Amino acid sequence: MFHSKAKFYFVLVCLWNAALTPVLASPDKIEQSVFRITNYQQSPNWQSPWKMKPTNRGLGSGFLIQDNLILTNAHVVSDSRILLVNKISNPEPFLADVVAIAHDSDLALLKVRDANFYQDLTPLELGGIPELRSRVRAYGYPMGGQELSRTEGVVSRIEFGTYVHPGIDSHLLIQTDSAINPGNSGGPVTQSGRVIGVAFQSNLRLNDVGYFIPVPLITRFLSDIEDGKYEGVPEIGIETSSLVNRHYRRYLGLPENTSGILVDRVIPHSSADGVILSGDVLTKIEDKQIDAAGMVRYGEQQVTFFIEAENRQIGDLLKIQVWRKGKFHNLSLSLKAPPFGAEMRNSYDELPEYLIFGGLVFIALNRNYIHSPGNLTPSLAYEHWYRELERPRTRRDQVILISRVLPSSVNSGYSNLRNFIVTTLNGKSVNSLRDLDIMLKEMPPDTLHVVFESEWQKMPLVLDYKKSLEQQQSVLERYGILRSSNLSALQNKDSQ
Amino acid sequence: MIIKHLSFYLLGWSLFGAAFVLPAVLHAKVPDIKPWFQQAVLLKSYQQSYDWLTPWEKREIRTQTGMALVVRLPEIENSQKAESPFKQSLLLLTTAEMVADATLIEVTRKDIRQPFQAKLVLMDYAANLALLKIENNEFWDKLKPVEWSPVKSTAKPDPNNIYSLKIKSAQEWEMESGKIELMAVGHREVSGAWLPILKLSGVSKSGQGFPLLQDNETVGMILEARSGEAKAIPAEMLLEFLEHAGGDSYRSLPHRGFHWRKLTQRSTADYFQIPPEKSGIWISRVLPYGTGSDVLQSGDYLTKIGKWSLSYDGKIEHPEWGLSLFDLLFLDQFKVGDSLKLAVIRKGKPIILQTKVSPYEEDGRTVPLKRVGYAPRYVIQGGFLFQELTMNYLSMWGTNWRSRAPVRLRLFLGQNKSVMIHENNKTGESTSGNKTFASAARVVLVTQVIPDQLNIGYQKLSNAIVLQINGRQIRHLKDVIEAFLNPESEYHRIDFLPGSDRLSVVLPVKELKQSNRRIQNNFRIPKLQSL
Repeated sequence: MFHSKAKFYFVLVCLWNAALTPVLASPDKIEQSVFRITNYQQSPNWQSPWKMKPTNRGLGSGFLIQDNLILTNAHVVSDSRILLVNKISNPEPFLADVVAIAHDSDLALLKVRDANFYQDLTPLELGGIPELRSRVRAYGYPMGGQELSRTEGVVSRIEFGTYVHPGIDSHLLIQTDSAINPGNSGGPVTQSGRVIGVAFQSNLRLNDVGYFIPVPLITRFLSDIEDGKYEGVPEIGIETSSLVNRHYRRYLGLPENTSGILVDRVIPHSSADGVILSGDVLTKIEDKQIDAAGMVRYGEQQVTFFIEAENRQIGDLLKIQVWRKGKFHNLSLSLKAPPFGAEMRNSYDELPEYLIFGGLVFIALNRNYIHSPGNLTPSLAYEHWYRELERPRTRRDQVILISRVLPSSVNSGYSNLRNFIVTTLNGKSVNSLRDLDIMLKEMPPDTLHVVFESEWQKMPLVLDYKKSLEQQQSVLERYGILRSSNLSALQNKDSQ
Repeated sequence: MIIKHLSFYLLGWSLFGAAFVLPAVLHAKVPDIKPWFQQAVLLKSYQQSYDWLTPWEKREIRTQTGMALVVRLPEIENSQKAESPFKQSLLLLTTAEMVADATLIEVTRKDIRQPFQAKLVLMDYAANLALLKIENNEFWDKLKPVEWSPVKSTAKPDPNNIYSLKIKSAQEWEMESGKIELMAVGHREVSGAWLPILKLSGVSKSGQGFPLLQDNETVGMILEARSGEAKAIPAEMLLEFLEHAGGDSYRSLPHRGFHWRKLTQRSTADYFQIPPEKSGIWISRVLPYGTGSDVLQSGDYLTKIGKWSLSYDGKIEHPEWGLSLFDLLFLDQFKVGDSLKLAVIRKGKPIILQTKVSPYEEDGRTVPLKRVGYAPRYVIQGGFLFQELTMNYLSMWGTNWRSRAPVRLRLFLGQNKSVMIHENNKTGESTSGNKTFASAARVVLVTQVIPDQLNIGYQKLSNAIVLQINGRQIRHLKDVIEAFLNPESEYHRIDFLPGSDRLSVVLPVKELKQSNRRIQNNFRIPKLQSL
């Protein structure tokens, strides 16, 4: 499930550039298998997409599970240049590589290159969902200390919530009052000697509240990557409204003893597309009754019905029951990946796509860009979020922007222009950066002007075509840009 | 989060225009203060604006003090029309901000201790001007109307020193000197009006409605003074306002009828077939009112207004003020109704357009500009509070509402067809208080749900954009009332724009009246609807 309008008060608990303060402790078996992870990370500069930001040192935690694999958070190891793993009370760092990463559920697996690292270490076992109010213990390296920290608390809530790392995804998470601080990210949360979760985020608005990723999502991740490829958490692909109002239930003719949730919208190309209809009442999922707020029983808790999809794999079947036109219908749907584009989720490990022509910098609008300072303007917000909801037929593959202008005589007068949303080039619709690239390359040689028009601007942006071509190389050289475009979404991976 | 008590009267004039090279400051003789005892009075206004979040309530009372100037409406030569009933009598002139939403206006003469109650005769909120009357004849005894003179340019050898009044107490009036910084074109954001305005310095003790003097002549009226800087409306504009006030139906001040942009990119100019030697401005949007709105088209390249050639940045050589934005022509060169030729290049061809100088108007836009003096319009049904989206409502998010109000609501301000939920055609009339406006389709919102047992499950809904009620498209608040009269079944159904907290709600027809009564009693709401 995703929440496009979710407000984020959470903070990832990975610590960047923290001071190291050694603290001595006597390790036991669990503690020996909890590591400090140092990530020298470099992320792209979304304002100047051909450039990288300065290198950061991020600190987090991880722990050994089966097959010499270290489980941690995706946000601990994202955009990595070099990854180092330290054992408890040991100053010697070991080089590690990312084996698998799941940005949607903020999980990653690492492997240390040196086999000696694993000597005398015991993999930790995964447990289950803890009971409410039961005691848990969190291990990790908060504030980057060289020695392991252990804190204890109780499980205070089990619920669905937004995962800050991808930004758009919501999954099951468990809340505890055990101190989870920056640097704890990726560390295990245990109960009775077993791992019951991975610490990953806290809430700035609440005191002493931390969150960990529960075991079902971890085991789903581990199963997903068994074939060597991560496919992602499936999603049903519907938007719903509660039926808490009894009049609405009567209006729909729902039997008195039946509850359910109203389907407002079925997202095109989603798992539900062609199976569930807008206006259906979803009454059961995997034989569990859905209540009027859309919750199902999950252990001791009521949790949103989406839980039944997220613990499965893409391609699995899901049984549902809907109330449609006065009758119950038992249906099944084949689970698919979330129906939204990659641009809706925070991007990691990839270099931004861009194209430069006549000193104009074209990019495809995405979450990273719109959340960069100064870019959350009404027009970009409409293109990013509202157009698909309100005018889905007018949606293009990508929203192309002239994000900025590299001043040159060919674009004189446009140097202050920012975030010009391109609708057409010489009267033809621009659907993607690749589209634009081809259109510019296939421009007839006798073309006088390239005219970019926007639904949002009255005045088109016009360049002299020949001058733009003539000055292309000199503009790139003047601004120290090696490539005029990146259209292949190059991987921003460990370059060692 | 909405800031309930943030005042929106702070929205003022932002200044644009050409700066002048100031000559050396010369010292002029301090004007005699005594004549002002018969021409200016102190004004105290108790203002209470409406609470647009709780539209049946008013906000806290606030008090403002300033001045009002004694005026007489000028004679209109060869006037065939019926004239204002106040033609022969004296009136008081002050700023609209001083008296907007006033519950009581008191004016005090320097020589009479007790205040007199004034009543609003006319307010032009766009121009920030208002006329008041006082029915007690005793007040007018020995008072004299101000004689207005045009303000002189600071570029001339005359002293650029100006004077205004400084009121230490009701009995202690003094003159305060300052100087004109420039004559500019001010944009009044609350109304979208662009009008000539004087920027002054040194008159920090002055206030709204104070006179502005130059060479012992009255050349303007102060609109606001703050931190050593002040803005004043020049006498020429005041005279035009008074002249229009004397007519049978008031028209606002002359105004341009378009938005424009510079066209300094050679490639763009070539594309529009505009010769490089032709200076002018590119018409980006034609307004539904104002000069040229009847003949110009978006995409025209305007090169001349009357005999004045336009520069690449929209300036003309004004005979008094030198290089200035063309809007300054409305100061003293054009009056409403004057014939005017506009030279444009349209699709590569030069043409001359014939038009008349036209005034600023309420333009019937999707989101109406700020209005004062009228109660908010609303309808309550089953606890659903329906309101039209207005600048008054958006202002409830505080002075930074342009960045803080919900983004989907702010999108309607741009007049961009893509984001409109209805065709933006004129749909007849819309009323506000006792005033009727031609209007485009509005955006109707459920701004909040007032809790009741009937709407349990809907109570978190806020700022949801209404598309339909009972299958009827909702373009105005009156549509809401009519739609509720015609349910399609035993339930009323309301549909919202996708992206709202939920897409639909239903309310049982039979229980609605009872719920409305409960809500009215529970929340002490005087009326369930106000149109």
